[in-house]
Amino acid sequence: MLMMSIGQFDVKPAKAGFVAKCSEALRRGLSRPPSSSATHPTLSTNHNLEENPVKIVVCMKETPSTTVEKSFGPDMRIERRKEDAVINPFDEYTIEEGLRQQEKHAGSEVIALCMGPATATDNIRRALAMGADRGVLVTDPALAGSDAIGTARVLAAALKQIGFDLALFGSAAADAYGGVVPSAVAEFLGMPLLSFAGKLDIDGSTARIERQAEVGYQVAEASMPALVSVVKSINEPRYPSMKGIMQAKKKPIDTLTLANLGLDADTVGAAGAREEALSAEKVTAQRKGEIYMGNEGAADRIVAFLVEQKVL
Amino acid sequence: MANDVWALAEISNGKLAGISLQLASKAADLANQLGGSSAAVAMGTNTQAAAQELGDCGVKTVYASEGTVYDEYLVQPHVETLAALIQQHQPSLVLFGATNYGRDVAARLAARLGLGIEYNVGEVTLDGGNVVMTITAFGGSQSVKATFKGEGTRLLGARQNAFPTVRVGGSASVENVPAPAAPKQGAKLSGPFGAEGATAAGHLGKAPDGHDIWLPAVTTAKLEEAQIIVSGGRGVGGPAGFEQIEALATALGASMGASRAAVDAGWIPYERQVGQTGKTVKPTVYIACGISGAVQHKAGMGTSGLIIAINKDKEAPIFGFCDLGVVADLNVVVPQLTALVKQRRG
Repeated sequence: MLMMSIGQFDVKPAKAGFVAKCSEALRRGLSRPPSSSATHPTLSTNHNLEENPVKIVVCMKETPSTTVEKSFGPDMRIERRKEDAVINPFDEYTIEEGLRQQEKHAGSEVIALCMGPATATDNIRRALAMGADRGVLVTDPALAGSDAIGTARVLAAALKQIGFDLALFGSAAADAYGGVVPSAVAEFLGMPLLSFAGKLDIDGSTARIERQAEVGYQVAEASMPALVSVVKSINEPRYPSMKGIMQAKKKPIDTLTLANLGLDADTVGAAGAREEALSAEKVTAQRKGEIYMGNEGAADRIVAFLVEQKVL
Repeated sequence: MANDVWALAEISNGKLAGISLQLASKAADLANQLGGSSAAVAMGTNTQAAAQELGDCGVKTVYASEGTVYDEYLVQPHVETLAALIQQHQPSLVLFGATNYGRDVAARLAARLGLGIEYNVGEVTLDGGNVVMTITAFGGSQSVKATFKGEGTRLLGARQNAFPTVRVGGSASVENVPAPAAPKQGAKLSGPFGAEGATAAGHLGKAPDGHDIWLPAVTTAKLEEAQIIVSGGRGVGGPAGFEQIEALATALGASMGASRAAVDAGWIPYERQVGQTGKTVKPTVYIACGISGAVQHKAGMGTSGLIIAINKDKEAPIFGFCDLGVVADLNVVVPQLTALVKQRRG
């Protein structure tokens, strides 16, 4: 699906029209409204914590399983095989957090949003098996080779169309480890991002996080709609249950193309990327040092080694 | 101007992060090579002191924007100021740290101004006027060379310790820039909290949610600058297990680190995390205790001078990239080692 990382594309003012100023239209969404949206209170309504349905979109990406060998094609894109594609491990925590918030706020909806190849429906289905209500896949041949900012542009447009109170992201993806998509999406939407959340609370129309800091944590809060990126310490993701897997088969997955989102092909994909990979090589372990077996004498051996190396 | 190189300094609650000086040093170096001028942008509180330090590292100009708004809101005020400066002066390259702060600022800038952005950069070379970057991906298992395409300012995110701090004894001319108003829809920030545990002696404390966590001594902090680091991973067994790791670190005059497994388990604060999503370190000696050695960990410590690994599991990947691998129980070896080191050092 996507190229390694790499880049960005021109934001021409004429094409930046979709950059949303967050509005009621944005929050409610423009496309097929979910069945729950009729009862969904507006954010101006003063609602209580326990009866505060929120529309949550969890953003997920497919990444190659971390255990498979990586190889690059002649176009310098990672060769992504369908059978190796898993939900980005960071995003499992995102999905889980969406589901936990839904459990706390009755009547909430959780939508799994993914940009990727048509085959990504398999992994969206896994998010639905965990408990998400429905899926949205953005797929288009022109998206291949998108860089992080191109990806963010597409996700922003999709989020705008779906509408949301809270959009959740993983803090990075286990491929390029860029960690820049959530903040770029927030910029395209003109919204705050509560980043690196180790804890999330929704209180009325306010989202509040404990933000991972060098020492201890910070508290950050914003009015919804807002974006949140989560770190792995926030929860422990569940496995899909058998019942969940069966139910997931009946849950809807909508597909969106660039045309549906009103985006030009030259602003995304390889055409829109502002970076290019020149070469790639596997990093191999270059050290094959001495191996010492057993507890007996191990500490002495380490001391002797440190002395040999003039550290002690 | 066309060949100017800037560094984005990182200031939090009046404190300049060490990576800022690495970026400033590299910005001065690259600007020299390109025949342009160098600058740093310092936003937050205590910026005049930061400007002196940055100037010491060779940048010619520091754009200093003093204001509490930068401490009160997450990155949106920074982006306002920086976007305006970039549009006004059009530097060729802006270096930022691939830290939480750097990523959040640079991503918004790239989205707003349509700039090229690269991150996790470990090396930069100039090939003619072209910037060629070496980047790690897939948790450090792949190394990619990349360049920018298209016009305009480029944003380059450097890993911690990718560039050395070089103090040349310079002094920058300071241009003061007004701070923006608070964002209408911003992420309001307060804290840090839960940092009270950072005291002289490491001890077992409570995390905000009530679970036990090892709160290390401040004397074993400063991973990025340490000559020796002793790190603990899942094999340490729990928060209390870090007591013996810290005892060894203290005996060696070392800093103490941890693997992500230990941080994610909530055993030790994130500030100690070494690896792809934590700190990148380059000590003379790195001692990994109970760390299996996932590629993500290696990405943060693989360039250490000497690597010593202690692990019960002889199949642990870390034995594939160490100089001395000890297949043993760390609960036996680490206390013995601490005692021997203390003996030698009298």
